[in-house]
Amino acid sequence: MSDSIKFTRRDFIKFGGAVGTAAGALGLTSSRLVAMEQELGGKDYSPTTGAERQAVPYTCMACNIEDGGVAYVENGRIVKLEGNMDHPNTRGKLCAKGNSGFLHVYDPDRIMTPLLRTGKRGEGKWKRISYDEATTLLASKLREVIDRANAEHKPEILNEMVFKWGRDRTGGAVGRFMHALGSNTMLNHTNICESSKKVGLEPTWGPDIESCDWANTKYILNFGSNVLETAYFMNPNAQRLVDGVVGNKAKLVSFDVRMSNTSGFADEAYFPYPGTDGAIALAMAHVIMNEGLYDADFIDNWTNVSARQLIDHLKPYTPEFAEEESGMAAKDIRRIAREFATTKPATTFSYRGPCKHVWGSYQEAAINMLNVITGNVEKKGGYCLPRGMGWPQPQPVPPKGKTASVIAAPPLYPLASHHVSTHAPYMIKKGEAKVSVWMTYYDNPVYTYPSSHVWKEMLSDENTVPFYASFSPYMSESTELADLIIPDVTYLERHDPESMPGGLYPCLSIRQPVIKPLGGTQEFRQTLIDVIRKVDPDGALGIKKYFAFNSVEDWMRAHFDAIPGLKEDGGWDFMKKKGVWPIYGEVDKETAKIVDKNGNEVEPDYGLYTKELSASDMAGAEVDNDGTIKKDGQAIGVQVNGRNMVGFGTPSRRMEIYKESYRKYGFNPLPVYKRLPSRDKKPDELVLTTYKVNVHTQSRTASLKYLAELYHKNPAWINPKTAAARGLSDGDLIRVTSPLGYIVTRAHVTEGIHPDVVAISTACGHSAYGRLAQLKQREQAADYMQGGDADIANNVWWNDKGVHPNPIIRLAVDPIGGSQGWYDTVVTVAKAQPGDKYGDTDVSVEASMKDYEETLRYAYTGDIHRAKHKEVDIDWNSLPEPELHGGGH
Amino acid sequence: MQTTTTMASEAIMENGFEQEQVDETQALAGLFGFLARCLEEEADAALIDLIRGELRGPLAAAGLGFDEDFYHTPTATLVEALAEEYTGLFVAPGCVSPYASVVETGCMFKEPADRAAAAYRHAGLDYRNRLSGEFPDHIGTMLGFYAFLAEAEATARLAGDNERAEQYRTQRETFLLEQLAEWAPGWCRRAAEAALLPFYKRLLEMAEQALWSELEQRVERRRLRELAELNRREPKRLDYDADFRKASGL
Repeated sequence: MSDSIKFTRRDFIKFGGAVGTAAGALGLTSSRLVAMEQELGGKDYSPTTGAERQAVPYTCMACNIEDGGVAYVENGRIVKLEGNMDHPNTRGKLCAKGNSGFLHVYDPDRIMTPLLRTGKRGEGKWKRISYDEATTLLASKLREVIDRANAEHKPEILNEMVFKWGRDRTGGAVGRFMHALGSNTMLNHTNICESSKKVGLEPTWGPDIESCDWANTKYILNFGSNVLETAYFMNPNAQRLVDGVVGNKAKLVSFDVRMSNTSGFADEAYFPYPGTDGAIALAMAHVIMNEGLYDADFIDNWTNVSARQLIDHLKPYTPEFAEEESGMAAKDIRRIAREFATTKPATTFSYRGPCKHVWGSYQEAAINMLNVITGNVEKKGGYCLPRGMGWPQPQPVPPKGKTASVIAAPPLYPLASHHVSTHAPYMIKKGEAKVSVWMTYYDNPVYTYPSSHVWKEMLSDENTVPFYASFSPYMSESTELADLIIPDVTYLERHDPESMPGGLYPCLSIRQPVIKPLGGTQEFRQTLIDVIRKVDPDGALGIKKYFAFNSVEDWMRAHFDAIPGLKEDGGWDFMKKKGVWPIYGEVDKETAKIVDKNGNEVEPDYGLYTKELSASDMAGAEVDNDGTIKKDGQAIGVQVNGRNMVGFGTPSRRMEIYKESYRKYGFNPLPVYKRLPSRDKKPDELVLTTYKVNVHTQSRTASLKYLAELYHKNPAWINPKTAAARGLSDGDLIRVTSPLGYIVTRAHVTEGIHPDVVAISTACGHSAYGRLAQLKQREQAADYMQGGDADIANNVWWNDKGVHPNPIIRLAVDPIGGSQGWYDTVVTVAKAQPGDKYGDTDVSVEASMKDYEETLRYAYTGDIHRAKHKEVDIDWNSLPEPELHGGGH
Repeated sequence: MQTTTTMASEAIMENGFEQEQVDETQALAGLFGFLARCLEEEADAALIDLIRGELRGPLAAAGLGFDEDFYHTPTATLVEALAEEYTGLFVAPGCVSPYASVVETGCMFKEPADRAAAAYRHAGLDYRNRLSGEFPDHIGTMLGFYAFLAEAEATARLAGDNERAEQYRTQRETFLLEQLAEWAPGWCRRAAEAALLPFYKRLLEMAEQALWSELEQRVERRRLRELAELNRREPKRLDYDADFRKASGL
């Protein structure tokens, strides 16, 4: 018999536990194993030959966060993407979308050559043509408009050339192009994104977003942002949020109508009624002000209001009032307000949840105010200004067009600095604007806009839009309606300058072709050069000189070669090599902080607004009674306690909690809460909200197989109580009906949703965008999928592409910021009716047109606006007349 | 003075078998050259005139006839109609992608494109695209290369350079077996099924049969069965039971 010791499994477990307890601090483990991306980032090797792969830095554009990336290239092909360790804000990490980005390049559903429509619009019949033929055709269409404007001496005709984008990361190329043509009709997508957040912030302090110092904070209030998955600056913010919560033991309190992954990560999660975040924020401010927890010095020195004024203003916004509106208990509001005000440093963050409502700008301003009154602005660990960098535009720069565009900046929305693109099809259909040439770039409104069917109808009508050119490399729901497609390349094959304030280290970055444009395709920037040269071949129109670049790379050199500091480092050549500038240090392998050569953390700058003005700045400057320092009629700073400082980007150079620009149009100059129509819905109705998911953009990624496999269907989230009241079970086929019509989808019964809400994600339910997005091979294998991707053919295990909710979402716009109220549509949810099929969609253009008229009643000239703002001290009979403008506050 | 080449040619002429071999190889060059021209790019007026004129009889004799519309439609109209069909069938998203890379890997411009380009280089040819989005592993280009090798082989044989001719023959057979055999015939069949106009439908059917005919000459029956199986690759249709996977079963 052996005398060796017999161990039981229990012995092992017990001993292991003891080791863990005793030696935890010692970190007993292998010292040879390290996190791959931190140890090996920056290099990659072929698994077959062992040869080092070519590493080319770039800036991601799988979504709009613009993370720093490195592409590994082998035999002229992209074999792998990873984060750029030199990027100070994204620190060597890409998200799932970014890692999958190379699939865009080699996707067989990519448009690889210009296509000219041959059948009826939208019929899907094309003839391939060359880039030369395509740019010649587009140039001729543009020249016709210019010649007509010149012949009739009507510069306003030039605005019939329309350019609409969903993402414009060209660093000014689109503006240069349109202004060279003499048109101001540029439509962005910002009002379906977060424009009311921007308009809640800009008049307060200048920039349009905050940059929280998550990593160094101790307390976070997260309003309506799923920052760990999707919101603006998701990757850098998510990293730093985790740094703060895990590394710095910060408390995270999250507010969302849905149990997002961010709320799931929070210490406390609350589920307020949609559109009531502002009431909660105001009630917290009420508590902070009334209990004397505010930062009196900051309010006195750095705002344009007094503490007394705020206390008076906040009087109605008691926690009990907020409880009534939001459903969040008053005692919790009080407790959290006290915690927020007394825990230093602290910060809020907010994204679409509060601002994507009618009057969303007020909600954003209310949340912002919490940071102001607690003195957390621009503090380490606090609520900081965004840090971006600019680059010069190549000279000469074309002047703006002579006439403002009515659809680019609708006159009824004078404060909407990011414009109101949702209104374009309605205005055009009503004859308020004329279109001759419609151009789109990174844009798919037939899928991405509310009441998307209205866009489809407009773009399908040749009388309304006589010529439609798309620059998309993918056949989206919108591009399939084009007359001419001049495909751009993917973001891994082209040049763009970039600077995203995704963190506290300001930096420039670039996009450059990591491989030659595939198959001889042509980048958009070159297409613009070619078109302009064909519009104005001999320079007689005076346009050609704005595009006098010998090459696209010359254009980029003109941006980067003369920037002080970068110029000395090598300018554009440095950018090509490193992808980002400046290099602040390196990512510490243990802490993931940016450190210098000695291992010391490179701290960001704080207190930017306190930067002192130099003697030369002050030369010739005057100080107003209120301390504002003005020079040549412009406010350049503010004098506080005898110090001359730059202050904030407002007329007073202080934080303007009181917004005179709001008051001018009859809006309340101070942050207020306005009860939304959806708050007064009938008991059997629900509020429809949408949300993004972590592996998809709203529209562009559904055809990427890695991502489609991860997420491809979007059942409607519904609370068990709500479902039970309607006799619904998980997986049931349901009808979701709004005043516009209905969709037929499936129910996902879950506790993770407010009982008065039904939530459906975006990114699914495509009717275009490639065979994977559409799951075409399941419907018409014999007719469609032949010769396609064997992987898709054989390995797609799912059979559900989801149902898109946008057709039933009503147009409803914030009259201040111009933002679409994505979360204001009231619906009914019931079991599907006999004959209903999954994916059925039936909506009415006429009903959507009525919504347009209805939402105008909320604009500053409308009757509902006046009825809802009786408290505003203004002569209602002397409101400014609507006029053409550039948009702004 | 009589050249060596001429003497060799005369020697070949004396050998009926070899003449037959040259004729057949030249015919293959003609056949695949024709198919290559029809598939590599859109038909132009010259090609249509050729098919409706000089080649009408030979095509009919081979069993390839088109309907009367094809012969009577004005050339310009036909060019436009065929360009639209070509784009829908071979170019635009959702098309029957004509690239070996897409069939074999699901992506454009992958290793099959490198293999095709290497074969071209080995034969002293370079690949140059005419329009954007064209790659070396296009079915039309590959069939054209097959035709080129056949023509070169016949020319070498006519010149009495049998060693060179054999090199070309080996190159041609290798290219057929290694780069076309496992996908091209099946691709032609699926493309023929997707074609809307008889022009491409018939041509693709012809191309499929021409490829099988070549393969039957060169591979044993067992391998032929394997190739038939490989060329039958079809997208799988999973049984769809909507209730099986509940909506929340992510």
